Amino acid sequence: MKYVDEFRSGQLAQKLAHELETLVEPGQPLRFMEVCGGHTHTIYKHGIEDLVPPEIDFLHGPGCPVCVIPMGRVDDAIALAERPEVIFTTFGDMLRVPGGRGSLLEAKARGADVRMVYSPLDALELARRNPDREVVFFAIGFETTAPATAITLLRARAEGVRNFSAFCNHVTIGPPLRTILESPGLQLDGFIAPGHVSTVIGTVPYEFMARDYGKPVVVTAFEPTDILHATVMLVRQLREGRCEVENQYTRVVCREGNPRALAVLDETMELRDTFEWRGLGWIERSALGLRPEFAAWDAEARFELPGSRVDDPKACQCGEVLVGAIKPWECKVFGTACTPERPIGTCMVSSEGACAAYYNYGRLAKRRERVPA
Amino acid sequence: MTVDAGHCLTCRDTAVAATVVEVDGVNATVEFEGEHERVGIELVGLVAVGDTLLCHAGIALQKLTVAR
Repeated sequence: MKYVDEFRSGQLAQKLAHELETLVEPGQPLRFMEVCGGHTHTIYKHGIEDLVPPEIDFLHGPGCPVCVIPMGRVDDAIALAERPEVIFTTFGDMLRVPGGRGSLLEAKARGADVRMVYSPLDALELARRNPDREVVFFAIGFETTAPATAITLLRARAEGVRNFSAFCNHVTIGPPLRTILESPGLQLDGFIAPGHVSTVIGTVPYEFMARDYGKPVVVTAFEPTDILHATVMLVRQLREGRCEVENQYTRVVCREGNPRALAVLDETMELRDTFEWRGLGWIERSALGLRPEFAAWDAEARFELPGSRVDDPKACQCGEVLVGAIKPWECKVFGTACTPERPIGTCMVSSEGACAAYYNYGRLAKRRERVPA
Repeated sequence: MTVDAGHCLTCRDTAVAATVVEVDGVNATVEFEGEHERVGIELVGLVAVGDTLLCHAGIALQKLTVAR
């Protein structure tokens, strides 16, 4: 398949792994954070940890938007879904995320009209077909997904669809990265930055990481040789004493991003003063809300929400996993009380979450490592 | 539209490269692994049959034109 097969070539992967071996200084550990859950998934699924020299350690970052949604916002979503006039629409992986009052799937089992959609445009179509109901879309995601919500809002306004609204939880990638960079005791040598977010925002928003914090960054795609190539680029920067933002994903990402996408975001949304992130706490100007001009399509303006704050379960260490402080298997409940079937924390719910990715692909390899054949 | 088996369908940073088979105003029908889907194309400018689009959550985010 074009744009896929060539980036899964075993031959190329071996070549890149060999190049890494020649670049890495034996005994000198290098810690790289892959920001995006998609990268975490690729690393585990394709066994990249086993291909790279043992000096290289991948830490998993906060780039899975399902994983960073705080429990209180899930409770707000459930409150919306339980309104009799509402058809509540959501991406599938939010259905099982536990809030303080259970999950949306449990609300659906109790009778709430919760439906899975692949796109906010599907939710808008539902609104057109059900003029006597209120269709609310659970808008979550980074700058990759926010433009789809923006386009949907613009179409709803242009067509005068008044029974559609968005419960906006879109977040931005820059502020949590700054939070991680400022966390005490940070031991990171570089970042693998997300590819599709960068399709929208470009590479400029990462420049502060190299300039102000001295950490090299490589924006990359999601196939195994992309990640290996990005790792080679990071190690080369370190070896050559450079500290820059480099773009490995040149087939779709350019420095200035997609100006049309940025324009529709600016037209429909604005930065909130602050927003709560699971595991990272409240981060200023890190999330998007709808502009007042779109209040007629803003679920938060149209419906009363509990707005309660719910503490994460005590046993859950998602917060530490999300900032790379611990590996998934170091969590007290990983794979025992917390599994993909019965998740406690969000990192185990989303298949892009570090815990789920490790549970599905990495744990067997880890077992081999612990018990040599 | 799936990315590959086991990959999150709705991850907010996952997108797929799909080929345009029909253009209809602000929408296009794209084909990916034999499946067809309608996507909004407001964000990618002029689109023609045969173009490859990076699609996510029902919209095209970018045209794949840059060679690696």
